[in-house]
Amino acid sequence: MSTAGSLTWRGVYDFLEGRSRAAALLRMLISVAFVLAVWQLIATYLVTNKLLLVPPADVFEALGKEGASGALWTNALATVSAVGAAFPVAVLLGVGIGLALASSRLLALTAGPMLTALNSVPLVALAPLFIAWLGLGFASKFVLVTIFTIFPVLVTTETGLKATDKILIEAARSFNASRWQIFTTVTLPFAVPFIVSGIRVAWARALVAIIIAEFFGSFAGFGYAILAAGQSFDTATLLAYVIMLGMLGLMGSVFFEWLERRLAPWRQE
Amino acid sequence: MAGDAKMADALTIEGINKVFERTGKPSVEALRDINLSIREGEFVSIVGASGSGKSTLLRIIDGLLPASSGVVRVSGHAVTQPGADRAMVFQQDALLPWKTVIDNVAYGLLIAGTPRRDAHATAQRFIDMAGLKGFEQHYPHQLSGGMRQRVNVARALAVNPKILLLDEPFAALDAQTREIMQTELLNIWQKSGTTVLLITHQIDEAVFLSDRVIVFSARPGSVREEIPIPLPRPRDLELKRHEAFGALVDRIWHLIEHEVRSAVANNRA
Ligand SMILES: Nc1ncnc2c1ncn2[C@@H]1O[C@H](COP(=O)(O)OP(=O)(O)OP(=O)(O)O)[C@@H](O)[C@H]1O
Ligand SMILES: [Mg+2]
Repeated sequence: MSTAGSLTWRGVYDFLEGRSRAAALLRMLISVAFVLAVWQLIATYLVTNKLLLVPPADVFEALGKEGASGALWTNALATVSAVGAAFPVAVLLGVGIGLALASSRLLALTAGPMLTALNSVPLVALAPLFIAWLGLGFASKFVLVTIFTIFPVLVTTETGLKATDKILIEAARSFNASRWQIFTTVTLPFAVPFIVSGIRVAWARALVAIIIAEFFGSFAGFGYAILAAGQSFDTATLLAYVIMLGMLGLMGSVFFEWLERRLAPWRQE
Repeated sequence: MAGDAKMADALTIEGINKVFERTGKPSVEALRDINLSIREGEFVSIVGASGSGKSTLLRIIDGLLPASSGVVRVSGHAVTQPGADRAMVFQQDALLPWKTVIDNVAYGLLIAGTPRRDAHATAQRFIDMAGLKGFEQHYPHQLSGGMRQRVNVARALAVNPKILLLDEPFAALDAQTREIMQTELLNIWQKSGTTVLLITHQIDEAVFLSDRVIVFSARPGSVREEIPIPLPRPRDLELKRHEAFGALVDRIWHLIEHEVRSAVANNRA
């Protein structure tokens, strides 16, 4: 009997460690369930002050209430539309500037140092300034997210383009490839996984930027809702919106990791 | 010099010198006054100590690297850049990691503007010849080192060059595969009438394949001795057991031994 029992357990572990999509999903569900259980235990036995921590059940209840009142959707729309508009623009600008820097020595020498300096300034500190210029709402969010998000894309694009194995470029030249052909068949494909990993980092930064923009000034959005809930000591609602943000972050990171694997299968093994 | 007698030469190397200038460091003299002429359809090997400039000479012939002085002529025309008349197999693995075997082998043809269909058909022939049937859709990282090297060779052969430049193409292969590839190379060479210039560290390989073996001196590389290989053709592996074969290998071995010793002494100093 006991052998049969340990055999089935081993089967379960083998399945969970496997590469199938079902296994990945099940792993995720198990870890979520685990976190929720621990959270519930801590909230019922350790930290019982509801101003500091509320059990998960309360948070889901708050989430349900926000959904029913429509506030959730208004806030989601405000945040997602601002990020959704700014993020692609930032990616395009980042890739474009990265391309320009990698292909022009003059530009790299003149604009490069300035961009590096800008990148090391915590640009979110400029949020109040943007809001003063552009007012509360979409425009200031859009600009702040774009500026804050460009850099990782720009840097990885330039790095990726410059990191190409010299021998691969030599081989292409040996076949009489033009500069354009070398770019399209060697340098750019080599840089793509770098760029995608830059985009993945940029996604996390975009969420930080949108929340800060919404903290400083807006009438709707997850950041706005979190700030409002905090000010009225509504911890359950606050955590509900944090979870929504976490979902946004997770979705982006899962998607870009998948994209990276798709585009660069040779980098896995 | 460029008289009528030279017209039968596929490749002439006239007074080639190469000095690598390095900013802030002493310059390196890699090649000194190299003079060689190789007849159309001839098979010539270069052997010599590590660092004696063999790869550098091949790059200059391929048009990837300018000489400090001297001229390389292909069918009488001075080489200034890579051309469709030459193809090179690099000492390092130079396959594009994001392309499948068949796309890698077809690469040179596609760069030259061959329609995809035709390029793939030609690539398939050379994949079969290199013993890689069934691996067309594999990526380089899924192949062994020896298989990758065969893809490199197939890619160069696929563009049907007049002159084939091979830089230690079989270095990564085990003894058996190496001998099979040597025989294959001889077959291809005999059928196609290509002129071959091969670099190798394996003296028996040089003797087995070549009409002539060039022994390089230690750095700066120069032609120390040209040794004709008057063994009958077609050759098979039996030949390696003949006395005349052994005598030629011995003779070259002694020439090189001296150069390797002085190269090692130089590097220690
Ligand atoms: N791009 C370069 N810049 C500076 N020095 C170089 C460069 N390429 C080669 N050299 C130098 O030129 C010399 C000859 O190099 P090369 O690669 O041609 O030797 P090799 O005969 O092919 O050696 P091996 O048998 O080890 O492959 C070496 O001393 C090397 O350090
Ligand atoms: Mg070499």
